[in-house]
Amino acid sequence: MQPRGEIQEMSGEVIKIDNVSKIYSTEGIDVHALRSLSLGIKKGAFIAIAGPSGAGKTTLLNIMSGLDIPSSGSVLLAGKYMSEMKDSELSDFRRDHIGFIFQAYNLIPVLTVKENIEYIMLLQSVGEGERRSRVAAILQQVGLKGMENRLPKQLSGGQQQRVAVARAMVSNPDMILADEPTANLDSATGVALLDMMRELNEKNGMTFVFSTHDTMIMERAKRLVLLKDGEIDKDEVRG
Amino acid sequence: MKLLFKLAWRNVLRNKRRTVLSGIAVGIGLASLMFVDGLYVGMLESMIRTATDTFLGQGQVHAQGFRDTLEVDKTINNSEAFMKSLETENLVSDFSPRTVSFGMLSSASGVNSVLLYGIEPDTERHISMIDEAVRQGNYLTPPGTGQILIGSKAAETLEVETGDRLVLTMAQAGTGELSQDMFRVTGIFHMGIREIDSDMAFINIKQAQELLALDRDVHEISLKFNDINDAGDRSLEFWEKYSEQDNEALGWKDLVPQLDSVIGMTDISILIITSLVFAIVAVIIMNTLFMSLYERIFEFGVLRAVGTRPVNMALIIFFEATSLSLISIIIGLGIGYVFMYIFSVYGINYKGIEFAGVTITELIYPVVRPRQFTVFPVLIFIFSFIAAIYPAVFAAKLTPARAMQKSM
Repeated sequence: MQPRGEIQEMSGEVIKIDNVSKIYSTEGIDVHALRSLSLGIKKGAFIAIAGPSGAGKTTLLNIMSGLDIPSSGSVLLAGKYMSEMKDSELSDFRRDHIGFIFQAYNLIPVLTVKENIEYIMLLQSVGEGERRSRVAAILQQVGLKGMENRLPKQLSGGQQQRVAVARAMVSNPDMILADEPTANLDSATGVALLDMMRELNEKNGMTFVFSTHDTMIMERAKRLVLLKDGEIDKDEVRG
Repeated sequence: MKLLFKLAWRNVLRNKRRTVLSGIAVGIGLASLMFVDGLYVGMLESMIRTATDTFLGQGQVHAQGFRDTLEVDKTINNSEAFMKSLETENLVSDFSPRTVSFGMLSSASGVNSVLLYGIEPDTERHISMIDEAVRQGNYLTPPGTGQILIGSKAAETLEVETGDRLVLTMAQAGTGELSQDMFRVTGIFHMGIREIDSDMAFINIKQAQELLALDRDVHEISLKFNDINDAGDRSLEFWEKYSEQDNEALGWKDLVPQLDSVIGMTDISILIITSLVFAIVAVIIMNTLFMSLYERIFEFGVLRAVGTRPVNMALIIFFEATSLSLISIIIGLGIGYVFMYIFSVYGINYKGIEFAGVTITELIYPVVRPRQFTVFPVLIFIFSFIAAIYPAVFAAKLTPARAMQKSM
């Protein structure tokens, strides 16, 4: 059951998950992916959600971002209940407030680096001049200047992930959700990427939420949330 | 919108083999439609030409009731005035008067009943193909007294050749008394149509009128139009004008109604074939779109995840269908053009086949019509769009999480 009501003030929290459960029914068997989970994430957080396989990490991120709907409980993102939004509104919300970095980069293979990055800005109807300048700036920031016209298949894994990061950031979202962003990278590239994200977090105050097994990310996270069997086992704030 | 179309176009070209194969399949459908339409039209035009040019004419004038009985007394009322009027008629390019009567031909070896036509040799040349069909001997020459043309089958029955004598017996108008005269076989014709070659004979109209005691009357005026379409247009005032005074002016559609029925049947056949082709096109397009969609379902999940609205997801699919149909149309027009060109040069041989009372006597050439290159491709485009509705709705309703499964 999802409560309905007015938009609430959130006291610096970008996202508030309240008593959320998620049950998947598969061939008559119920799988409890999340069990009455509550979590608040403040602006500027650099948080890692860790846990063994099947702990519910991906489910939690899907629900946080509106990619999936909880079976019960509420999700408040930037002051708005997700349950009150229509599909198209949720799409617009994700477009404007959330950036995604996927495990397998998931760039659109038929679009160039430039087109992949500016895709979201096109959805936002950003003008050509501003798109051009923001793309140039972000490519500079992620160290891919001069590669605008390459296709993803012409880039290395690390470069593709940088493009994915650029795509996630270029629209200045409130929050970036990253699912195993270093899983397909060698350790050196992974470290470089994480350092870049940490710098963005500290410089721009951008909120990062990672779903990860990677100890590198866990070590760098300012807050570590450990999930087990769909519940929070440990919630540790560091430094 | 521009980027969505760019995305769709590039997606279609991503799997070139599948796109080309689907394009060829749809293109063959379009080409088949073009060819069948052209062939049907060519066949119909040939049949109409055969029916009208062989002997019938594109239209005829008779006295009311003559066609039912072929009564020798039923001559055209005021035929001379009619023919004078026809000389200045804009729609008509040529006309020829005829007498029509039953007769009996006798030779030393046999007898043969015939439908005897009295014709004006010079004007008849412009209406029928009797003169071209003469295989032995000569066509009638004015004044032509004592000359007769008979068909190849009749010549066999009578066992005569050119130059041989025949006795013609006919019943006169008014009295019904029999009249006879001797003729020499001037020529033997072969039309390739059994009824004409065995049952028809031709003599000069003046001699026919004398034998039938018709004075200057005629039974039939055969017509040829400047535009054959006018001959088939029942709405023209022409028909009413020349149906006055108890006469009856009829176009080929009324003279050979079974041919008109064939045209109607052909239109229905083309409609059925068109519907089948479009159904096949729709299935091919839908299948191609779904295959492509399932291959990229994770990608579609990502597009939804990053904020692409459901309607834009549907648009991507519609644009892909548009791109695919454009490629298919180009291929189809190419294949269709090649086939039409080849057969427009070499034709298809259906000679001798009788259909709807008309024997095909010439090669059939498919006819190129504008609609084959305009209407059909547009319909393919529209049907492709319709076929895309189901996959588009599917794409729009995709749940991002389900589409992406393990990852976000």
